[in-house]
Amino acid sequence: MDQMNKETYAIARFGRRVGTRAEGDAARIDFLAALERLPANGQLVISLDGIEVLSGSFADELIGKSYQLLLSGLYGEKTMLIKTPSLELAEGLDDKLTQRNLAMLCLFNGDWSVLGRLAEPHRETLGLIIERRTTTAKELAEALGIPPNACHQRLKRLVDLRLVHQEQIGATAPKTQYRFQSIL
Amino acid sequence: MELTIDRIEELLSLVRDEGHRSLDLRGVRFADPYGLLLLDLLIRDQDERSEPLALIWPTHRPVVGWMRAMGRYDGLDASRRTGGRLPDVHHALQPITPIADERAIMELVDGFDARLAERYRLDPSPRNTLIRFMIELFQNIPQHSNATGEISDPHGVAAMQDYQDGIVLAIADKGVGMRASLSLRDPGLVGSDADALDAVILRGVSRFDDPGRGEELMRIFRMVRSWDGTIAVRSGSALLYHDPERGGDLYDVAPFPGLQIALCIPRRVFGIEEVDGAPEDWFNGPNE
Repeated sequence: MDQMNKETYAIARFGRRVGTRAEGDAARIDFLAALERLPANGQLVISLDGIEVLSGSFADELIGKSYQLLLSGLYGEKTMLIKTPSLELAEGLDDKLTQRNLAMLCLFNGDWSVLGRLAEPHRETLGLIIERRTTTAKELAEALGIPPNACHQRLKRLVDLRLVHQEQIGATAPKTQYRFQSIL
Repeated sequence: MELTIDRIEELLSLVRDEGHRSLDLRGVRFADPYGLLLLDLLIRDQDERSEPLALIWPTHRPVVGWMRAMGRYDGLDASRRTGGRLPDVHHALQPITPIADERAIMELVDGFDARLAERYRLDPSPRNTLIRFMIELFQNIPQHSNATGEISDPHGVAAMQDYQDGIVLAIADKGVGMRASLSLRDPGLVGSDADALDAVILRGVSRFDDPGRGEELMRIFRMVRSWDGTIAVRSGSALLYHDPERGGDLYDVAPFPGLQIALCIPRRVFGIEEVDGAPEDWFNGPNE
């Protein structure tokens, strides 16, 4: 991901302890405007730096609902991820993403993890893509030792959740070829 | 007699099941925020039903002093007080605080936290978890206590007190309660108050058909249990109660409007040691 296309959005602008559901709802206007301003393939890095408490209600209204909109295609190919000084701080968001059957990449202490609901096989596949930066379904299936159809199923979930980028690399018969890229 | 999480039902039953219109509280030797809030709401509700209670207030001076410090006597009709001068008490932690406007919730949460932090150096992680609990529990009053729009004032209140072995946080209202709130989503969703408590607390059901809503009370219930704390959630004629000694169950209780919740979180959770000379001693102990 080109650094020029990344924008950091600090939740601390709303206070160090946030907040009620109504406050999260009100904050979403500003958040979605920031998402709107991003370039077509831009990425919003949601920073929890400076936050002491992030309630599940606030997280759901601001981030959970916005993420749902992003995944609906309303914001093109843009992506979103969390950067947090501690995983405990993101627990409320983790719970709410799980409730919504969503998953979001999370940067923590120089490493990555996933918040929300993502099955272990999908995490394994995501990990491989992040490690290789860019790869194809064929390469992944071989590396994971799974049938191509199973690999495609995993990739579809990861692409649907915007956890990886999918780029068309050819339209050769009988199937369109794609390359999968890490969003980190 | 005690006005506490595990004894207040006896008093409610006297009034609501047996129809008593007078209560003699002179024997009260101990009270906690949950008992105090329920007594407060009971008095208000009886007044609103035009069936006011004739009360003989506690005479045990530490109890009277604590109740005064917690704000119980503020605005109370003087004719209902027992005679005598009320002693000064400095031990009350967080007096009864009205909760109504959602815009003021974070200010109230900060205030409750500040009271606790003035008295103790709490471990940051459980402290922040308690703050998250308070945000969710406090905002539930403006969000849900009058969900049907039929209540003029649900009288949302909260209070907190530290004890020898734990911190008690109580939140209460006399609004529409869980069953009426859930019925807005689907009138057939729950058939009884016990069903409503089971749905909300044990299964995380919300009145909103939105997957992001609900589950917070369920998480609080589970977390308090995992801390070996005590939790009581009361709505209508049902009570969900759990403590580490007796375990937990759903109980039929005297009907009373709204939702009332008490959490008793052990001190060790916050990294503060159990102490001698805490409020139990100020009250001379419940078993005196």
